[in-house]
Amino acid sequence: MHGSSGPSHLRIRVFAAPILLAAATITGLLAALLWGTVGQYVAWVTVGAPVLVVLGVWLRRSKKA
Amino acid sequence: MKARTVRLWSVVHTWTSLISTLFLLLLCLTGLPLIFHHEIDELLGYAPQPEAHASAARATPQVVADAALAADPGRVLQYVSWDKDEPGIVIAFTNNAPDGAPDNATLRAFDAVSAKLLGPVGVGPMLIVLKLHTDMFAGQAGKLFLGGMGLLFAVAIVSGVVLYWPFTRRLRFATIRDHASRRVRWLDWHNLIGVVTVAWALVVGLTGVVNTWAELMLNQWKATELASMVAPYAGKPPPLHLASLDDVVARARQAAPGMEIAFIAFPGTPFTSSHHFAAFMRGDTALTARLLKPVLLDGETGEVADSRALPLYLQALFISQPLHFGDYGGMPLKVIWAALDMLTIVVIGSGLYLWLARRRKRAPARTDAFAKRAPVPS
Repeated sequence: MHGSSGPSHLRIRVFAAPILLAAATITGLLAALLWGTVGQYVAWVTVGAPVLVVLGVWLRRSKKA
Repeated sequence: MKARTVRLWSVVHTWTSLISTLFLLLLCLTGLPLIFHHEIDELLGYAPQPEAHASAARATPQVVADAALAADPGRVLQYVSWDKDEPGIVIAFTNNAPDGAPDNATLRAFDAVSAKLLGPVGVGPMLIVLKLHTDMFAGQAGKLFLGGMGLLFAVAIVSGVVLYWPFTRRLRFATIRDHASRRVRWLDWHNLIGVVTVAWALVVGLTGVVNTWAELMLNQWKATELASMVAPYAGKPPPLHLASLDDVVARARQAAPGMEIAFIAFPGTPFTSSHHFAAFMRGDTALTARLLKPVLLDGETGEVADSRALPLYLQALFISQPLHFGDYGGMPLKVIWAALDMLTIVVIGSGLYLWLARRRKRAPARTDAFAKRAPVPS
């Protein structure tokens, strides 16, 4: 298997997760405003996703230590 | 990205962050309890509680208005408001004059059924926290200043995203280099937390900036839209006898079918003309409850004079408010809001630490260079 190491591939690798999290956050912020109760549930998951990522990294490091 | 470009963005990021650091810390620290202001007020006994009633027949608006005037003799009513999230309570604003300064207003809660006085509103320690958060006790100048800090924060975020690429392109996402120096570890945490919270921080920061312009926007609306609504009644004196508030509310409901009343501004207050009541109507969803529609009613007869949708900039202001407060998704969203607020404090604190650590690292190097250049005494 040949992995591309071009600049665009590298940019995607670096920015893919942040862009996904940003999109999730924006979706959640608007969902709670536009979609009533269902939107609130969506917001809890998507706006909370960045917190879960940080918590996950912190827990992973704590286990290693 | 060229080294010169990185240096340039780094200067932008460093200085926009440094200038705003102290104020952003103040905003984040005061914002944290404000997320839970209702719960804190309840806990400390500053939140008026409605009485329990078997009957659901609500007191009429005029009965509440009479009770409010009786509770504050010698003063006048400015506004009466009905909070969608607190259906058991009606809040009345009294002041020395219809156009009295907001700081002189007294807010009291009344039971929506019995019209009994439940207690003052907007008092207690949370009011101090709110004033610190909104204007640092410096009025409009303080608000605009904090708005400027919010704009610097937005520039710091954007420049931080630009710098994320050169600093992390050789690393996997969410890498924390545990075996490196403390400074590098904190740099990794700063980059990770900063980039995952970027959308939330930008939204909360920019909506906060928009909120600091609220008074300017309202002044603009009064000078343009409201002025054109009341123009046909120019020269009419303030009403000698006010129309019954019950009639005013009933007619406002007829003029805006399917909407409920959010608040009424009495003639002469900043939200209306000297001759008219203004009833601000709201929808019943999370979004439409924020998009108020003003209905102007004659102060003496209660007849509808005009009704228009608010201009886009005021609609943007009202929509921006929940996105700043985080109070529209129940308790779980409030908890998430608080967690994101705390993560932002970590980003700001770690940024400051990284700047100080870099300065300390550079200082001995500069001293060494100076020592090498200095003439050696014989």
